[in-house]
Amino acid sequence: MTESIPEPASQSPGAERYKTLVVVLTVITTVITAIVASLQADANIRASTNNGASQEYAIQASGELHRQGLQSAYDINVFSGYLKDTQESLVFSLTALELQQKGDPQGAAASLLKAAISQARADKARQFSIFYTDPRYAPKTADGLPDMKAYLADSNALANDLVKSQNAAADAYNLWNHKADSYTSILTILAVAFFLFGLAQALSPRLRLLFAIFGMVALAGAGAWMVLILVI
Amino acid sequence: MQKPRWLASLHLDLVIAFLIAIVSTTLALAAWRGNMVSSSAADASRLGIINTIKKQASTNEDWRATYQEANYAENYAVYLAEVQALEASGDPAAVAQAANLRQYLLPNLQLPASPLASDPVYQNPDGTYNLSKRFDDLEAAAPDLSGLNPQASFQLAGRYYSEQRWLTVTMVLLAVSLFWLALAEIGGKRQRLLTLLIGGGVYGLGLVLLAVVEVLFFILRGGVL
Repeated sequence: MTESIPEPASQSPGAERYKTLVVVLTVITTVITAIVASLQADANIRASTNNGASQEYAIQASGELHRQGLQSAYDINVFSGYLKDTQESLVFSLTALELQQKGDPQGAAASLLKAAISQARADKARQFSIFYTDPRYAPKTADGLPDMKAYLADSNALANDLVKSQNAAADAYNLWNHKADSYTSILTILAVAFFLFGLAQALSPRLRLLFAIFGMVALAGAGAWMVLILVI
Repeated sequence: MQKPRWLASLHLDLVIAFLIAIVSTTLALAAWRGNMVSSSAADASRLGIINTIKKQASTNEDWRATYQEANYAENYAVYLAEVQALEASGDPAAVAQAANLRQYLLPNLQLPASPLASDPVYQNPDGTYNLSKRFDDLEAAAPDLSGLNPQASFQLAGRYYSEQRWLTVTMVLLAVSLFWLALAEIGGKRQRLLTLLIGGGVYGLGLVLLAVVEVLFFILRGGVL
């Protein structure tokens, strides 16, 4: 024997109006919310990755500047020592010549010895100087000067490259972080749309349509904003 | 004997209710796993930054020590050249002066320049010193710091982030599935079976993706969860 449960009291046909429309709008809102949530997660991940990279580049750039400072100090110290000894040698040689002309051979010999010592020091310092041993900076002629501009450009090249990379990563971080923040705002608007559609289902057909329109406006705004963020 | 229609409807209601419970639990698990992965990614990234700082600090110190020795060594080499010039001068006073300088001054100048100025392995054929080798040796002397590999941590963070992306896709699929199942629960009789099938299908897809993502990234990370 079969029993039938009592049928619920039939509602008037008008009471169900726009319900399907609201359901369809809710489905669309769900799909858009899912897309925005994915985009927001992706933007956050990209922001985190670029944030890490920018910090790493900043550390490396600071290390390279430190190393480059030590190297420059050493190179300039050696070079200035070479210049000092070379000039001393020259002065002592001239003094020896003057003393020779004045008839003081003993004084001239002592001065010549000093000149030889200074020249020996200068020759050794020259061996250590990057400005005379590296063909990129060494003088092209016997009386020429080292190419200091090339030395400075080469010294800063690596640090400059690292700073460029750091800036690029920092810019990318700002861009993605801003996008992630914007997606969060869109998700808030979509939550409002959900609320409006949910409320619409519980109201009379006329108010249902009104709330559905409000929800659609929120949905359209969120969709347009999402497209704008994707395009920019 | 045929089942009454209300009983069939009740069965479908139960099936949908069970499915909603299962999908909700799966979604909660996926969300938990997503948070775990996100946290692991942040940890690996943080470790990478810390190791970068440690390694860079160690490298900075090694360069400082190298150039400090290099300055002393250059000073020593220049004084040695001076002493040699005095010795070669033939002047008795200069030779005597050179002997004293060699005996008393040069060892003291060589001391702070060691081992760069004292160990033959750092001597270049032209009389200069091999600063790169000295730096490499200083780096090798502290393998716990110079051996740090921040890139490995950043790569691990990258893998966790990739997994997080796919887990987000999985969660979206599960949420969509939950939505369709809820629709089946409250929907009219005609649409109920269709929406139930869509919800179940999307859930199956999400579940397969979840399993594939977990297994794939587990293997990619070399067996690390």
